[in-house]
Amino acid sequence: MSIQNKNVNDVMLDIGSFPIVTDSTILKEALERMDDFRLGIACVIDHNSKLLGIITDGDIRRKLLVVQKPLAAFFIDDVINQAIKNPVTTSSEISLADAVSLMEEKKVWDLPVVDNSKLVGLLHLHSAAKALLEG
Amino acid sequence: MNDKVIYIGYDKVKKVKVGAGLPLAFFGGPCAIETKDHAFFMADAIGEICEKLDVPWVYKSCYDKDCRSAPDSFHGTGIDEGLQILADVRDEFGVPVVSDFSDASWAKATGEVCDMVQVPAYLCRQTSILRAAAETGRPVHLKKGQYMSPWNMKNSVRKLEAHGCDQIILADRGTFLGYGMLVNDMTSFPIMHKTGYPVCFDATHSIQLPTSMGNISGGQREFIPYLVRAAAGCGINALFMETHDNPTAALSDANTVLDLKYLENVLHQAKIVHETRLELLDKFGEDNVHPE
Repeated sequence: MSIQNKNVNDVMLDIGSFPIVTDSTILKEALERMDDFRLGIACVIDHNSKLLGIITDGDIRRKLLVVQKPLAAFFIDDVINQAIKNPVTTSSEISLADAVSLMEEKKVWDLPVVDNSKLVGLLHLHSAAKALLEG
Repeated sequence: MNDKVIYIGYDKVKKVKVGAGLPLAFFGGPCAIETKDHAFFMADAIGEICEKLDVPWVYKSCYDKDCRSAPDSFHGTGIDEGLQILADVRDEFGVPVVSDFSDASWAKATGEVCDMVQVPAYLCRQTSILRAAAETGRPVHLKKGQYMSPWNMKNSVRKLEAHGCDQIILADRGTFLGYGMLVNDMTSFPIMHKTGYPVCFDATHSIQLPTSMGNISGGQREFIPYLVRAAAGCGINALFMETHDNPTAALSDANTVLDLKYLENVLHQAKIVHETRLELLDKFGEDNVHPE
């Protein structure tokens, strides 16, 4: 399959292959999930798999530079309180080339993949780049 | 934040609702159950004051004081006699009742009588106690340990929730400042309220000087009204105060209980400050300065 014919669906990480947490997960646990998967992003969903927000390494870095409360209080905060509520997303049927262009435009490494309001996957730059290199 | 409302009371008692925007609730009574006659006297006297002030209230008294400093201090009536007296208070005065419990095996019987069960501050992170409290099916009054940060109480809340409890009130009763001294950090209220659950100020334990008298605790009762006004102004949903008609003769916490003759004074002030705060919220909006 040539790059022109590849869609996000062909290369995205499936559910279970990247960090997903719920809105009541505390930040510390979300960071642990990210570490488990060695990915710099966690997606926050509700009980219907609706994407509520994301938290990334960069978000944490920016928070750490401004947060004034004790680290313990920061860790135990609900992750949703620290998450980006309206992240850039894509859908599974979008062409991979368009999705990667969007990643470049928005300067992001990951795009949550949302179909019909449900989180169905994650497009990660590494797998996208690999697919592009393979042509 | 999803503000939760806690409903206290089953069967034929006057139900008490605790939560955001609601009238300030009062939890009060003698620290320990002494006799049935005394419990009835106190319930009658406190009930009259609360009715006059139109303050919803829950009668508080404990059957077993398991955290006394001295081995020969009054320990309580015991669970059977104590719970029977609390049941009699419910029947006679139609008021919800609350008692703490210090042993997980006491929880079931406590919950069968009491409209709310209380977890002592020293035990606020004990998993077995929290599980037992949750399993009573009653609302849980969970006091912040003197050694706990307010944000750490979320771990205790999660333990209760893990066992099916979604009716929780979090109380501050002071935080240790070194040895033998307690202070109140008023930011504990908004921090604990971030859990979504109502918060309560325990005024009479906050002025305690733990074991300052060697084998018993002292207290500076003169500061009760100051702290009550501060807490009510900061934002609480319930006020907890132990009271006694003859503090020097009280069998438990004699140095910290509020003399009954001052209860109306302090409670009235708390109600006024609470209502003023609600008016301020209406006028100026929620407390959302620098929410980030």
